[in-house]
Amino acid sequence: MSAEHDGLTVGEMLLKHGISRRGFIQYCTAVASAMALPPWMGPAMAEQLRASPRPSVIYLSFQECTGCLESLTRSFAPTIEDLIFNTISLDYNDTLMAAAGEAAESARTTAMMGSFGKYVLVVDGSIPTGAGGAYCAAGGRSAVETLREAAKGAAAIVCVGTCAAFGGIPFADPNPTSAWPVSAIVQDKPIINVSGCPPIPEVMTGTLLQFFGTGQVPDLDEHRRPKAFFGNTIHDRCYRRPFYDQGKFAKSFDDEGARNGWCLFELGCKGPTTYNACATVKWNGGVSFPIQSGHGCIGCSEPGFWDKGSFYSALSAPAWGKAGEVAPRQVLELVGGAAVVGAALGAASAGVSRVRQRQLEQHNDEKGG
Amino acid sequence: MSDATSALVADLAPGQEKTAQARVAGAMRGFAQEIGALSAFRLESCIHCGICADACHFYIATEDPQYTPIWKVEPFKQAYKREASPFAPLYRLLGLKREVTADELVKWQHLLFDSCNMCGRCSLICPMGIDVAALIEQARHAMFDAGLAPKELYQKAAHQRATGQPEPSAEPYREQLLAIGKRFGVEIPLDKPEAAVMLCVPRTDIEHYPSAVAALARVMQHLGASCTFRSDALVAENYGYYAGGKSWQRDISMRLIEQALALKAKTLLVPECGHAYTALRWEAADLYGKPLPFEVRHVTEFLADELVAGRLKLARAATGKTTFHDPCQLVRKGGVNDAPRALMHAMGIELDELKNHGGFSFCCGGGGGVLDIERAAPLRYRTMENKLREIDDTGAGTFLTSCSDCRRTFDDAKSHFSWDKTPHSLLELVASQLSGTGSAP
Amino acid sequence: MDLLAFARGPALEAALVIFCVGVAWRIAGFALLRLRRDLNKPRTPIGKWITGGLMTVGSRSWPHPEFIPRTGAGEALGYSYHIGLFIVVGLFGPHIAFLGSLFGISWPGLPSGLITVISVLTLTLFLAVLFRRLTHPVLRMLSNFDDYFSWFVTALVLVTGLAATAHIGAPYQTLLAVHILSVDLLLVWFPCGKLMHAFYLVPSRAINGAHLARKGAIS
Repeated sequence: MSAEHDGLTVGEMLLKHGISRRGFIQYCTAVASAMALPPWMGPAMAEQLRASPRPSVIYLSFQECTGCLESLTRSFAPTIEDLIFNTISLDYNDTLMAAAGEAAESARTTAMMGSFGKYVLVVDGSIPTGAGGAYCAAGGRSAVETLREAAKGAAAIVCVGTCAAFGGIPFADPNPTSAWPVSAIVQDKPIINVSGCPPIPEVMTGTLLQFFGTGQVPDLDEHRRPKAFFGNTIHDRCYRRPFYDQGKFAKSFDDEGARNGWCLFELGCKGPTTYNACATVKWNGGVSFPIQSGHGCIGCSEPGFWDKGSFYSALSAPAWGKAGEVAPRQVLELVGGAAVVGAALGAASAGVSRVRQRQLEQHNDEKGG
Repeated sequence: MSDATSALVADLAPGQEKTAQARVAGAMRGFAQEIGALSAFRLESCIHCGICADACHFYIATEDPQYTPIWKVEPFKQAYKREASPFAPLYRLLGLKREVTADELVKWQHLLFDSCNMCGRCSLICPMGIDVAALIEQARHAMFDAGLAPKELYQKAAHQRATGQPEPSAEPYREQLLAIGKRFGVEIPLDKPEAAVMLCVPRTDIEHYPSAVAALARVMQHLGASCTFRSDALVAENYGYYAGGKSWQRDISMRLIEQALALKAKTLLVPECGHAYTALRWEAADLYGKPLPFEVRHVTEFLADELVAGRLKLARAATGKTTFHDPCQLVRKGGVNDAPRALMHAMGIELDELKNHGGFSFCCGGGGGVLDIERAAPLRYRTMENKLREIDDTGAGTFLTSCSDCRRTFDDAKSHFSWDKTPHSLLELVASQLSGTGSAP
Repeated sequence: MDLLAFARGPALEAALVIFCVGVAWRIAGFALLRLRRDLNKPRTPIGKWITGGLMTVGSRSWPHPEFIPRTGAGEALGYSYHIGLFIVVGLFGPHIAFLGSLFGISWPGLPSGLITVISVLTLTLFLAVLFRRLTHPVLRMLSNFDDYFSWFVTALVLVTGLAATAHIGAPYQTLLAVHILSVDLLLVWFPCGKLMHAFYLVPSRAINGAHLARKGAIS
């Protein structure tokens, strides 16, 4: 990646890397079809991108584990991700850039001023507000400040990963750093949430490509995730769905059902309530995804998924109590205790009834009902 | 008060006058005495499925939903919910259940007395296992305390409680009993100081079927049983039971119990009467306050035992095609299923059974005091049509039963419908087929 | 907390508590009223009362032949939808997982597609039963708020369950949350009305059967 604006259009840049116009159109068409966009959009996106100067992208990382970036750069088809890095101008990314310290920060501010109002801000990690923002600071400035400042000149903000989109791990109970998603800090800019822990590489790149290719924010769901990738649940696209429908569930890991590839609902799969593209686009270049590898979906692209009960208790299990998980013994205690209370109330009401009966028995005719 | 309810109130006996307030108080008093865990459970269990209607011949004959058995106790269900149910305090506080009114109680007189034979068929059909007939009996107690028992039942109960006879007669029953003995040439054991078996008679038999009285005496004589009638307790029927007057029912039963105790009797023999069996076999001990020190047996039970013991031998009876009406109180409610048929079998009778026989038999229509309630006659005749048709459908020429009130009801229907059959007493048939000399116990 | 987490979490917990308190209260409230001993001599030994009671628990589910012509159709309708409900509630995978995880047990179920078919049939029967209650003179006369509301609360669970499985009308999470909330409503209403017959059925039939067996009468 380069930190300079070399004035080349995307098309010129691609040619320099030996990627022909035809090849680039093919790539864009593939992405368009993966996103269920109309077929004419592939070539249209390609043309628009080729004719444009490379759009500036500022990538800010806050309270994160770098998993999202690792996912983004992890590719089995290097040319595709490379393509992305040659399509955009990634003007700031503290993990990938060579520069550090003052030099890196000044590169960022230069890029921001130079493309003010036009650059895309990509954020991963949550933003802590506790202790005055001290839990995440770089260059003497808190994440909150940095984000607010960077958001001022952004055309749009793409929140990559569940932490940036919904708060993620740091946001989970008890949220000691008072972590918040980007959308809680910035309210006046278009936000696209590409959630997942981490998100699928193709989902991230596809979303970016579509945004740059069309210049428009894609169709978003109520959590501001692109419907193209987050419009269906894992359950709706899962290859194990026939087993769910037949009532064939694995009861424990590596039991016969599990070895036969049966549905993992009873082992805690959150597929039915998780929206993502894992079941179709899959991971590692389409090789597999958690369920295919025998582990239930943990719902990592959903808000608050760390606080929604054990990954191993079924969606249909009771979910009150600490960490949203209830053991049978606790249920029995609850039920038993309630029954005892109820019986006591019943005994009291029986006492009241008996007293009332005696009263009525003694009513003579003049007293009336 | 509406015209209809005014008419009902006007139809009551002197001695049953009460203010509306007093009626409600009386009903609540009676209700409070009846409610216990078991009756509460029954009232709780009703799921409003309406299936009990399909067992009740009043509903079947008229298709009038008001005759649904559980509906007959509706005011008491509401009273229970309001006064004694687990959530009663909340119901009262939030005004969710209203109090029963005198008007309602008066209206319900028709449902609890005129249109219920206390036959217990509803208790057999209820899918929740509710003993609806038991609830109706309890509701009658409350109605009695409200001064709302039908006048015929009230007056007969009052008279029986005071004198031992439901109605005054030109000659006291004692004299009539002795006269029957003379007329039929059979000894009437009367007022012996001690006996193993105490006898009594249905007053219906004294008045209408004296041959049945004679038959009882004849059979006991044939068996050489140690038995006696007692002048102070001749009548088997219990009008207190019909009227719902629980303490009067007790007083009337106590008459018989005291005489049996004085006799040191081993057996109190219930003659051919249905409700007398219920009152004495399945209710008297509770009213007495302790288990009875003697057996209570229906005459058919007693004779069936004698048959099994070999002390009773019967000749074949040439009755032709024969059918039998099972009295509700004896068979369905009383549990005396086999005795009547054992006797008939011993006489070589193969019954052409009614479509609904045994424990499923439809009530004759006169049970529960309905025979005595004049204004109920039209409705009673409507319900009887089905029963008479059933009897006709068997093609039987001979029609037997073992309850004198059932017999009287069928005789009444015979004249009303110009029906071609006559009800006969099983006991009388047995008495006519006695063979051998019998033996002393 | 989103709606689904609320429905499965605090709402379910509260509903379970109210259910248990209410049921125990209701039963204790009448079971502890006066109990009178029957002093009349039984016709049969106590063993017969017990067997008679137990037999009646089963036998009252099928009307005697004498009653079937008049009552068969109505009773069949009633029992059918109960059977449908038991199958759907007890033999559907996610339900087994729910009930089982409450008490730490599990049992095999039926294919989910079959459950959907049975649910639709049950819903149809449910509607038929409501129609019957509204049009049959006896039922119309007997019925009160409790009858209609209990029907509604149960039907709601059935309908929301079907909607959730079919993903009709709203995002799945919302449908699932509404379904679980409807179950919570059912649990809260349960001790207040006729749904208590679920607990009453066995003892009521048993007591009646025992009582009749004590007299030597049929039951």
